[in-house]
Amino acid sequence: MIDTHETLALSVVPIAQDLFTAMIDGEPGLLTPEPATLPVVDPVHAWVDIVGPAHYRALVVTGRATADRLARALLQMADDEDVSLEDVQDALGEVANVVGGNLKGMLPEGSSLTLPVVDVVGPTATRPADHEQPLLWRGDPLVISLWTPKNGEEL
Amino acid sequence: MRALIIDDARVMRRIVATTLHDLGFETAQAADGREALDLLEAGERFDLACVDWNMPVMDGLEFVQAVRANRDWRDLTLMMVTTESEQGQIVRALAAGAHEYLIKPFTPDALMAKLDMLGLLPTKELA
Repeated sequence: MIDTHETLALSVVPIAQDLFTAMIDGEPGLLTPEPATLPVVDPVHAWVDIVGPAHYRALVVTGRATADRLARALLQMADDEDVSLEDVQDALGEVANVVGGNLKGMLPEGSSLTLPVVDVVGPTATRPADHEQPLLWRGDPLVISLWTPKNGEEL
Repeated sequence: MRALIIDDARVMRRIVATTLHDLGFETAQAADGREALDLLEAGERFDLACVDWNMPVMDGLEFVQAVRANRDWRDLTLMMVTTESEQGQIVRALAAGAHEYLIKPFTPDALMAKLDMLGLLPTKELA
């Protein structure tokens, strides 16, 4: 029997790497898994929920400076161009959207994806994530976490 | 050729627009299905619409259904560009009248391959 949670957890890195290779870096190898979570300075959080028969939350966290670089890359901005909060919300929200959407595609049909939420304050969490994947993008930490409700809890 | 890019994420509109511009398309953008319908109802004409699925106000599937319900827009080629990757969702979109389906993330080459399949790849020499 396939363990859905484990399958999703194992898929986080390849999904994120595909996204960064195809749409952000244009080349592979710049987003790499890390064995342990590094501290994220000045964090920005972006998350989407998968709701319906399957219920998961995918959360992407990175530092504001890294989020600015992501926004510059995705919005094709110059290195010295100012990045607004709206730019960051748009860019990091789309990263969460693509990760969440691809995870949803691995679940039984019938669930839907919420629109992304991006905030300097993360979603309320009373416990650690079910899966936490530390990554490094161009040397900066970026963490993708997954939650699924347990014992009737609400995410 | 003219293309309408419909996505609530500005980053995605920018990425699609850049590839289409490089291919010689003139582009317009809308942040949701309603905005896109407003452009069509105002008389704007497009050869191609690249349509995200999950958007506020009016989602991509509703937009496709609305376009297909109006004979004036029957020549508009509709391509879903979305993270929705379940087989059932793809079938729903195609049954509603979408012509092609591109799953995010995608490369410019993947987008061009879809345009080629739709017969919308301009024949001009690229620089």
